[in-house]
Amino acid sequence: MKGFAVFARKEALEIVRTWRIWVLPGMVLFFALSGPLMAKWTPQIVTAVGGPAVAKVFQALPTPTYLDAYGQWTKNLTQILLIAIIIIYGNLISGERKSGTAILVVTKPVSRSAFVVAKALVHGLFLSATVLAGTALTWAVTRVAFVNAPPAALWAGTFAWLTLALFFLAVMTLLSVLVDSQAGAAGIGIGVFAVLSISALWQVMALFSPAALISAPMVLTSGKDYPIAIPVMVTVAATMVIVYAAAQAFRFKEI
Amino acid sequence: MTTAVEIRGLTKRYGDMMALDGVDLTVEEGSIFGFLGPNGAGKTTTLRIMTGLARPTSGSVRILGTDASDADDDVRSRIGFLPDVPGFYEWMTAQEFLRFSAKLFGLSGEVLEERVSVLLDLAGLSGTKTLVGGYSRGMKQRLGVAQALVNAPKLLMLDEPTSALDPMGRKDVLDMLASLRGRTTVFFSTHILADVERICDTVAILDHGKVVAQAPIAELKRRYGASKVVVEVTEGADALAGQLGTRPWVTALERGNNGTIELTVSDDSAAQHEIPAMVASAGVGLKRLEAGEMGLEEVFVELVGGGRR
Repeated sequence: MKGFAVFARKEALEIVRTWRIWVLPGMVLFFALSGPLMAKWTPQIVTAVGGPAVAKVFQALPTPTYLDAYGQWTKNLTQILLIAIIIIYGNLISGERKSGTAILVVTKPVSRSAFVVAKALVHGLFLSATVLAGTALTWAVTRVAFVNAPPAALWAGTFAWLTLALFFLAVMTLLSVLVDSQAGAAGIGIGVFAVLSISALWQVMALFSPAALISAPMVLTSGKDYPIAIPVMVTVAATMVIVYAAAQAFRFKEI
Repeated sequence: MTTAVEIRGLTKRYGDMMALDGVDLTVEEGSIFGFLGPNGAGKTTTLRIMTGLARPTSGSVRILGTDASDADDDVRSRIGFLPDVPGFYEWMTAQEFLRFSAKLFGLSGEVLEERVSVLLDLAGLSGTKTLVGGYSRGMKQRLGVAQALVNAPKLLMLDEPTSALDPMGRKDVLDMLASLRGRTTVFFSTHILADVERICDTVAILDHGKVVAQAPIAELKRRYGASKVVVEVTEGADALAGQLGTRPWVTALERGNNGTIELTVSDDSAAQHEIPAMVASAGVGLKRLEAGEMGLEEVFVELVGGGRR
């Protein structure tokens, strides 16, 4: 794939020099800092605002632990960050096609496959690095807030979520090849997420498909076991197949 | 001479609309080829197929001896392309974009540095630190021409390269294209006839997806220039024009200054015999009777105007 390294370097530079460097890292930073603090001090804050009646309710609840902070982190990842990824990457390929920049690249000695794979790979690495840095940060803040904070559950849950996020990045890469509109691609992406969530009601899907990785992060960060080996392998394979399909679809796409 | 571009029976259909309808073109290596046509004639569609950005419905396009649909990195490394509205990464500077383009062609080291420096000068963008996002359309067009030349292409394809340029910018680009004659095949589409007349060896005129003429410019003018007749009389030009206008072989008539009448005729022989007789019978003096040369603009209007009459 000639031109791959040059184009991948351009893509990385584009992340650093445009809005992309602020949005995902900004969201992850906010979740990483706010999750543990909210878990630790939400009862005090709400009690101070709500008065004795609310205080009684919180007194009946167990004292917050590091697991609550971990739960807040994975909840934010699954309910907010995943949707943000679907929306942000709805124009990963179509954006370059519509702005005309793709024309000046693919008429040079850069294969269309290299164009698609480089973008998916660079953004996959960027997403991974951002989330892993955020995980380390949220663990550090949790440790400061709760003192006792074994990291294994947090990393296991984040790893499961990251596998699912990379799968959705691949889905959005394919959709942004097939659908010109960012909103249209994002809408279909959210639809895929909804269908996958519902399909988890079916035992086979819940155990062996990417659908397992929607609920797995919450279970794992709560300190319980969840059999994710097979879903992770299936999801990684599906991610590679979808990126390959995106590259093939782009090869035959009129620009 | 070998062929740089060979197009045979090219058609392109978008739903019910036939964008290209049996286009045949041959472009000789080293020539400067003007691809003329009114807006919507199919020029951009042809260039998109030539560059592999779109696929033909039927027919074949061979670029430097290879089918355009199968053009690989080797073929792409020998062509340069400027689309009608070039899109750049707006967060880059001109120098960064040229370096990026050069690296995609595998250039490095001194060759890259020298090529980028020369092309920045050519584009008038040396020392410009502004990001491309802040450029005017003319600056982007000049950068577009520069990036199309970064690999010293064997075939340069340009879609309306001068449309956004001011007169000085146009002159610079046309001079630069003219300087490539013999070394690089230049294929450029335009609707600015003066540009074509100034630098092109050969021209093809496209209308409603069909090539209505392809020939060297001089031949094209000769072919259509024979149909033009200029008559100048001493007096009574209006009355004579009225009589000439009734003749079936007069397809167009225009009154010039003083006693001049410009005629476009469909039958040269009839014109040569009847015009002197009509002048004599009108009793006016004949000052001039000559075959006029049709400009490219008139040839163009003659060939593509039919659908609008």
